[in-house]
Amino acid sequence: MKKDNKLLSTFLEKMLLVRQFEYKVYEFATKGIVFGSVHLCIGEEATAVGSAMGLESKDYILTTHRGHGQALTKGADPNKFLAEIIGRQTGLCKGRVGSMHAFDKENNNLGAQGILGAQFPIAIGVGLALKLKKSKSIVACYLGDGTSNQGTFYEALNIADIWDLPILFVCVNNLYGMGTHYDKTSNVAVFEKAKSFNIITETADGNDVEEVYIKAKKLISKVRSDRRPALLECYTYRWLGHSAFDNRPYRSKEEIKKWKAKDPIKSLEQKMIKNDISAKDIEIIKDNINKKIEEAAKFALESKYSSIDDSVKA
Amino acid sequence: MRQITYSEALREAMGEEMKKDKNVILIGEDVAEGYKGCFGVSKGLFEQFGPDQIIDTPISENSILGAGIGAALIGMKPIVEMMFSDFIAVCFDGIINQAAKIRFMSGDQYNLNLVVRLPGGSGGGTGPHHSQCLESIFLSIPGIKIVIPSNAYDAKGLLKTAISHGDPVLFFEHKKLYKQKFDVPEEEYTIPFGKARVARDGKDLTIVATSYMVTIALEVAEKLKENHNLEIEIIDPRTLVPLDLDLIIGSVKKTSKLITLEEGPLRGGIGAEITSLINENCFDYLDYPIKRIASKNMPVPMSGPSEKEVIPNIESVEKEILDFLK
Repeated sequence: MKKDNKLLSTFLEKMLLVRQFEYKVYEFATKGIVFGSVHLCIGEEATAVGSAMGLESKDYILTTHRGHGQALTKGADPNKFLAEIIGRQTGLCKGRVGSMHAFDKENNNLGAQGILGAQFPIAIGVGLALKLKKSKSIVACYLGDGTSNQGTFYEALNIADIWDLPILFVCVNNLYGMGTHYDKTSNVAVFEKAKSFNIITETADGNDVEEVYIKAKKLISKVRSDRRPALLECYTYRWLGHSAFDNRPYRSKEEIKKWKAKDPIKSLEQKMIKNDISAKDIEIIKDNINKKIEEAAKFALESKYSSIDDSVKA
Repeated sequence: MRQITYSEALREAMGEEMKKDKNVILIGEDVAEGYKGCFGVSKGLFEQFGPDQIIDTPISENSILGAGIGAALIGMKPIVEMMFSDFIAVCFDGIINQAAKIRFMSGDQYNLNLVVRLPGGSGGGTGPHHSQCLESIFLSIPGIKIVIPSNAYDAKGLLKTAISHGDPVLFFEHKKLYKQKFDVPEEEYTIPFGKARVARDGKDLTIVATSYMVTIALEVAEKLKENHNLEIEIIDPRTLVPLDLDLIIGSVKKTSKLITLEEGPLRGGIGAEITSLINENCFDYLDYPIKRIASKNMPVPMSGPSEKEVIPNIESVEKEILDFLK
């Protein structure tokens, strides 16, 4: 296989893993197997995969509340992750916290916070520690467009600049903060906000995995070598609601249709076919991922519920 | 034994730990060059340890605390200084939703060696935003330890324990204690959490007092001994979480009378918590209902005379004790 084709196939594998994982979570949610709600990233796979694939294993990541794709791409075990989401002992975090707080130390995933904007001050600390330790690692700090309106974002941009911290901010711009369109919340684009703090930025079509990957790689290598922050803003769209059971009254059917026509996975498949990857090879990838997700579901469902022991009382 | 101030004790604790481990860092507003700490606590540390361990920050409390959390997440041992304990209100999210919960949320994959130093207390005419004692607020936030030293010996020993404790520690200092001198040995020592101290032996009445109120309680106890022949026992919990309940229970069983004394507001205070615990654990030993002495339920005013009306002081505490014993 040509080198480029191998990369395209890897993109497909990782994006399908995210999508099928999310559909499995959605299925669990509709069946009542998930406690509470979940925030799914179906439609945003190219942004998650393209950006996180550019990171090295020694790099750190702070994901968002819609961060399953980011965590999986950084290496989270789908079995343990799915078990976590349905509250089982074998989960990433012992089944204690579910979807919204996936920490995964093995893959340098420093966790997702349920409080939007809480990741920025933490990113400052990670960046500072990397600087003091003279580490070659960087930290990727994910955010949504809506979260760029938190005060902590501006503090973080300012301090990342003044202290020269190796932080890559990755904005997953899906147009909506819960049900409110970005245009209603700010007249300044997210990347413009970063620019005003001397931070280099790039924007990308967040549904084009190759473009996201190339731009992310470029910024990651710059952050790594210059020990300076950067920001990548990716424009994409979540197909489902803010949470699994949100019926999306705030979006028009036309808008959803328009974005679904830009399905990041379908367009990748078309690119692969054009590059002479056979439909059969694509099917094999799909089958493998489906198998992997079914295995993860089995593992999760067969695991015991988490329990409270005295060690967690503090 | 040599005597040093509460400030010097804190500085020694930080310096000793920084010398042992480069991962111990101090982060805060004006802690390095220039001021060397708003109250001079970090004086000389920048000169000794340099910009890699003593770090001045912009005025951004959320990020200052977050810097501590993030650095601790990847193995450092940050000490964060809030210039005034009141400023912790700016970064409640970091304390309540992140620092306190990361060990639990991560399924024990991560834990934080994180100390937040909090200069608090009234007495300086600094008014509502620079005088509060906020420690009791955090009693209902599981996941953080609350340390509240009343003297230099405890300040040093407890801070050294806090730096490597493994869970986030809110370290409440008192501004009125900074310049007070206490006996502190030259040789190294630490003090474990959850071990209260009998600050004064007595048989007639137990007072559980914290921070600067231990100083007040000791002075009042001397007066009451002289003028009323009373022997008051004073317990200093040192740490509110974990709380050494056994020592307090033992004292209450001996004296059968309990007063709690704190500088923060009465409502929902340390006294309320200790009262409930004593009622639940040794109610039958009590001769009288437990008495709480604390500041009035209102913001701390600025002027000296008003401050005195609101915050417990020698005269008011003495009067309340005598009323209690009537």
